[in-house]
Amino acid sequence: MPELGRAALVLCLGLALFALVGGAYAAATRRRRLARSAQNALLAAFGAAAVASGVLLAALLRNDFSFVYVAEHTSLQLPTPYTISAFWGGQEGSLLLWLLVLTGFSAAAVAFARRTGPDLLAWVVPVLGLVTTFFAFMLVAVSSPFATQVAPADGAGLNPSLQNPYMMIHPPCLYLGYVGLTIPFAFAMGALLARRTDELWIVATRRWTLFAWTALGVGQLLGSHWAYVEVGWGGYYAWDPVENAALMPWLAATAFLHSVMIQEKRGMLKIWNMLLVILAFCLALFGTFLTRSGVISSIHSFTQSPLGSWFLGFICLITVGSAALLMSRLPLLRSRTRMESLVSREATFLYNNLLLVALCLTILWGVTFPILSEAVRGEQITVSAPYYNFFLRIFGIPLLLLMGIGPLVAWRRASLRSLGRSFAWPAGIALGAGIVLLLLGAGSSPIGLVAYTFSAFVLGSIGYEFARGTRARRALAGGSWLAAFAELVARNRRRYGGYIVHASIVLLAIGIVGSSAYDKVKEQKLSPGQTMAIGHYQLRYRELVKRNGPNATEWRALLDVRRGGHSLGTLSSGKNDYRAEQQVSNEVGIRTDHLTGEDLYVITDQINKDQSINFKVLVKPLVNLIWLSGFLFFAGSLVALWPSAAEQRRLAARYRELRALARA
Amino acid sequence: MARSGSPVRLVVALSVAAALAVFLVYVSVAGGTPSIQPSQLKGHTGDVALVGKVIGTPAGEGHAPQGLRFRLQDVSGGASVPVVYRGSVPDLFKVGREVRVEGRLQNGVFVAKQDSLRTKCPSKYTPKKKA
Amino acid sequence: MTGLAIAIGGVLAAVCVLYVALPFLREPDPASDLLDEPGALERRALELAERRDRALGALKELEFDHRTGKVSDEDYRELVGPLRQRVAEALRALELRAESNEERVRAAG
Repeated sequence: MPELGRAALVLCLGLALFALVGGAYAAATRRRRLARSAQNALLAAFGAAAVASGVLLAALLRNDFSFVYVAEHTSLQLPTPYTISAFWGGQEGSLLLWLLVLTGFSAAAVAFARRTGPDLLAWVVPVLGLVTTFFAFMLVAVSSPFATQVAPADGAGLNPSLQNPYMMIHPPCLYLGYVGLTIPFAFAMGALLARRTDELWIVATRRWTLFAWTALGVGQLLGSHWAYVEVGWGGYYAWDPVENAALMPWLAATAFLHSVMIQEKRGMLKIWNMLLVILAFCLALFGTFLTRSGVISSIHSFTQSPLGSWFLGFICLITVGSAALLMSRLPLLRSRTRMESLVSREATFLYNNLLLVALCLTILWGVTFPILSEAVRGEQITVSAPYYNFFLRIFGIPLLLLMGIGPLVAWRRASLRSLGRSFAWPAGIALGAGIVLLLLGAGSSPIGLVAYTFSAFVLGSIGYEFARGTRARRALAGGSWLAAFAELVARNRRRYGGYIVHASIVLLAIGIVGSSAYDKVKEQKLSPGQTMAIGHYQLRYRELVKRNGPNATEWRALLDVRRGGHSLGTLSSGKNDYRAEQQVSNEVGIRTDHLTGEDLYVITDQINKDQSINFKVLVKPLVNLIWLSGFLFFAGSLVALWPSAAEQRRLAARYRELRALARA
Repeated sequence: MARSGSPVRLVVALSVAAALAVFLVYVSVAGGTPSIQPSQLKGHTGDVALVGKVIGTPAGEGHAPQGLRFRLQDVSGGASVPVVYRGSVPDLFKVGREVRVEGRLQNGVFVAKQDSLRTKCPSKYTPKKKA
Repeated sequence: MTGLAIAIGGVLAAVCVLYVALPFLREPDPASDLLDEPGALERRALELAERRDRALGALKELEFDHRTGKVSDEDYRELVGPLRQRVAEALRALELRAESNEERVRAAG
């Protein structure tokens, strides 16, 4: 069967190459049948990739250890769900997943766009073919999942800390995001190649971008949650290069989502949008490259794997190629429209873009600085959390404020008077919240207080927008408040879906601020029977129990938790000693207060021979808002994504009547 | 209605300049930490981040009064240096693992900063965060 | 196993090649193999259509913002006039194009 897998991959490579070369030739010489043929090649490539994936999946489920990949990432005792997730658990399998998703998305994009813009599609196909060729080539020649060996008795198994539901969903979710960004990129490059200056590429890919962006966001939250509960150091984001690898394209995509609206409404910023989509895609590639080559730890470990060089070469090709293409089409894209006022919604979108891109680039600088400094000075200089947190505050807090200002400002121009009226309620709410928080002691962290106040402002402005929108709708069409509200959202999905997403980001911000600016940490060594106090909690270390689990010896410290005289139950925290893998993992004890969103987080740092334990206990206020925000984020994106029949009709009509005009 | 000179360009230029200024000020003031291997330790007297492979037989515990004592060697083999560390020890710490610890060289022994020990991802692909 | 693999692989390859060749097999001798591309005419029309949609969208949004109270009455009065003019201009430009196209067809046919 591995031969079938290899053959399928070679077939996929051939089809992708045909889509690239044939498609480019067809677009350049305007050959209809060849263009169609190239499209079909892209669709067929999906079939080939699917077959290859099927072969690998079957081998995994069969525990066929003659496949090197299966032997390296699974074992006989591994539960089936994790055997499946081992598909993307290693280098080669994850590349295959990339290819599968890429060809799948390409097929879907081609199928959807066939009708509206065959000439644009003619140029999109070779671009998609190029990216597919690269990944197929990697799988065929550099990093094949179908290498075989004499089957050993059992496989190496999966790293224990990867054996949890999060690690099943987190990578595929991120891939949907990374790969999803290929589609808007391909359409943008297609538009440039076809010398088109209209918005078809944006209209065709708007939902793709939103989808990819949502997947990246949710994927990152899942990863953070895994880090919080599994790795257990008390945090959820360590500014690790692999974490930043997903954050950077997400930030670029966020900027793109906003600036694209300016192009749609005002016809401005065409060049900026091109730059952003190129940046987002290149960062997605770069992120994929970062997580699989050791380049960040040392420039020398990077050269040990050939994959890294190929990836870097491809990223350079894409960056230079798309930049050159953009420059050659620059005269076409210049628009004559000027921004009328610095106080308008366009302007706030522009400021938001600048902040997002600035944050993205500072993170990029922080990630690449070690490599650059090593190349220049022979010595790696690394930056860590303080650097990133500094810039997160500098750019993030104004961004937070802008999220509240943007919705209140009208397009084109906002007079100060109408601004003043719009701001009154939200600003009042923010001021009130600020005073209350100050009285509650939030002044211990000035930055935290500012962030909270801004958050209140944003929530106030979003609530205000919903309120006056519902009121206007009701005044127009009557009905109950609820009906008016539903009608309002249904008729303006992008706007109100966007507001819901903004609300989720504010919740995220509140959760982050609460758990970092107002948290408490305490380290103490306790013998059985002793008590420690932190915040409002008292913890009594009752006893240490040992249990022999199926593949690990489990040590658990049992602690009785009390607060304000009431017992809050027992918390267990400890370590698992995995005998086979000779590895110890931290199993933290978390007690969530569902009313306040606060977590009591107990880490068993060191178990001593006399059963005394060095504990590290954290109280993290509002941290659960972070996870809650994920659901709201997803819901808001769903609302914004939901197709609107009226809009579809209008757009279809636009392109249909034009074709009729041309043909007439 | 429309201004003769575009305010957009001005705003963009000013913002970029301002951001750059803030950035440069910060980076030059705070600086980064040099990340070096044991063989490169000789020249450095200040705080550095030492990266290397754990060898020998580690003794002690992170929270014990004497701390955790181990030797760090260059990843590719060669020079090694004794390290004394106090604080939380990440789960993945063991002989043969690549770790990173901050501190400075004092009298031939690398004295680590409290709680600064980090382990590197053991697997090439799957990211594992540090404790 | 290898026999089965070869069989499946063969079928897969054949299907893919067939699918790729399909456009040529369906139309071995077409009247025109030219890819539909928007000429200068169509591009201009598209630009105008987008301008029209943009103006209409802006007008609609202005109305909405006015109704919800984001835009004050004075601002509304100031902005609505020029916007309506813009919409009218865009619609007129498109009409002219449609008319000139019809004339061209009549002249040719």
